[in-house]
Amino acid sequence: MSFEAISNFIAAFFTLSIFSFLYKDNPFYKFAEAMFVGVSMGYAIPLVYINTFIPFVYRPIFVEHNFWILIPALMGSLYIFRFSKNYSWLSRYPIVFGMAIVGMGVPLSMHASVLVQMRSAMMPIETLNSALIFVGTITILLYFFFSKEHKGVYGKITNIGIWYMMVGFGASFGYTVMARISLLIGRIQFLLGDWLGVMK
Amino acid sequence: MANEKKNFFDRMQALDRRYIYLVVALAIILPLIIPFNSKTYVTEPAENVYKKIDSFVSPETNLGRRDRAVLLVFNHDASTMAELFPMEVSILRHCFQRKIPVFTICFLPTAKPLMDYALQTAKEDFNVQSGIDYVNFGFKPWALFTPIVLGMGDDIAKAVETDDEGRIVENLEIMKEIKNYNEMNLVVDFAASAAVVRWITYARSRFGANVAAGVTAVMAADNYPYLQTGQLVGMLAGLKGAAEYEKLVDVFAMHRVKENGVEKIVSRNYSKEVLKDSWIKLSDIKNTSYKMARLGMNAQTIAHIMIIVFIVLGNIGYFVNKKRDAKK
Repeated sequence: MSFEAISNFIAAFFTLSIFSFLYKDNPFYKFAEAMFVGVSMGYAIPLVYINTFIPFVYRPIFVEHNFWILIPALMGSLYIFRFSKNYSWLSRYPIVFGMAIVGMGVPLSMHASVLVQMRSAMMPIETLNSALIFVGTITILLYFFFSKEHKGVYGKITNIGIWYMMVGFGASFGYTVMARISLLIGRIQFLLGDWLGVMK
Repeated sequence: MANEKKNFFDRMQALDRRYIYLVVALAIILPLIIPFNSKTYVTEPAENVYKKIDSFVSPETNLGRRDRAVLLVFNHDASTMAELFPMEVSILRHCFQRKIPVFTICFLPTAKPLMDYALQTAKEDFNVQSGIDYVNFGFKPWALFTPIVLGMGDDIAKAVETDDEGRIVENLEIMKEIKNYNEMNLVVDFAASAAVVRWITYARSRFGANVAAGVTAVMAADNYPYLQTGQLVGMLAGLKGAAEYEKLVDVFAMHRVKENGVEKIVSRNYSKEVLKDSWIKLSDIKNTSYKMARLGMNAQTIAHIMIIVFIVLGNIGYFVNKKRDAKK
């Protein structure tokens, strides 16, 4: 039996073990679930150690003698105090540093996610699509304006916003169904193709 | 009440959900065992990704320019492989066939084996060399995402430093005419999360880099606003997007012609008219990895019909029972 056949057999066993949950909870499912978590962690820890700790901490400090790296290395190691009742406050320092990086991204995020979107909503209404987007943007924004009661003409306008949102939710749901079915298709393609070899 | 006769809809609503699982499973298994050719319609967002990558081909040589490159970012794990893997393989095949320099990188440990697997699968039929035709930058820690994305705006070789094989990126032949986003003019982010937005935020807003998305269907709706504003040059959405790109690659980049009874590949440029009349018989494609998404879409079609039938039946049942209850 080749290595590929053995690995396919193991993968098929775990796939079927996970699918068995659809019937009811059972020890095979629990075993496969625990195995997945263990293997993922077992794979990630040495990979991160080799690709992060060695080139960015060990090599600069101990091989290249670049001792400036000690500062971020020590700051990063303060995260471990999250597990200490008395010293957990020390872990806030690296978090604060991380938040500063988030702050750096705020102007760029404003540009990408707000200003460009606003600019595109302000373009001349030349096509049916742009007219629909214009109406949708205005009516949904008005729907989320809660200082005025949604009654009368105003209520009718915000109702259009609700319809727009419903269409949006429907599209999202449709996409979600497609995604979930795709994942099932992927696994069944593996079982029928790679494992059983009945797929052409 | 206990003696009340149950109608069809009452029985359907009380149906054990495991029967529904069984029907859905059959709706997927049967089209995969008995394949058929369903027509794959190519949408504009997928077309735009293809056309952008193909624009890196020099008209004189009909091969990829050495001062243009594509960066493929693998931002997902095995759970979404079914949707994203076929599009990754298709784009790699497109680049390899057209000799467009291509880079790969990932920031998640679990994406690393998938990236290697996609490269292995795609380069099977091509004579491509690491360091000359493509470079795998390998896994970089997520903490370095922002410094690398921003650093690539100035100098890719300095931002990434070493590739997956530990070689200094600056010394690689592929890097001779490639410095930053001006040359590496397209970033395709394969993600099952909102990671694409980070590329738009940092690489697009700051350096004007072209960004395209290869996302799971769940994430597609979130990315449409960026597509509409032109911040994304194109998008492959879920298995459907992957099937569309597979078709584009087969129709244009991997176009097969028979000369004196011998079949050979002669790449041709994108044309809407050609695409409209094109018909690819799936059974003619021997390697299953190159038609995975299109085979999957056959099953997807049947499964969607089943789901629509369930939804319609459920709603009819709801209204029938509501009317019956109102009469009482």
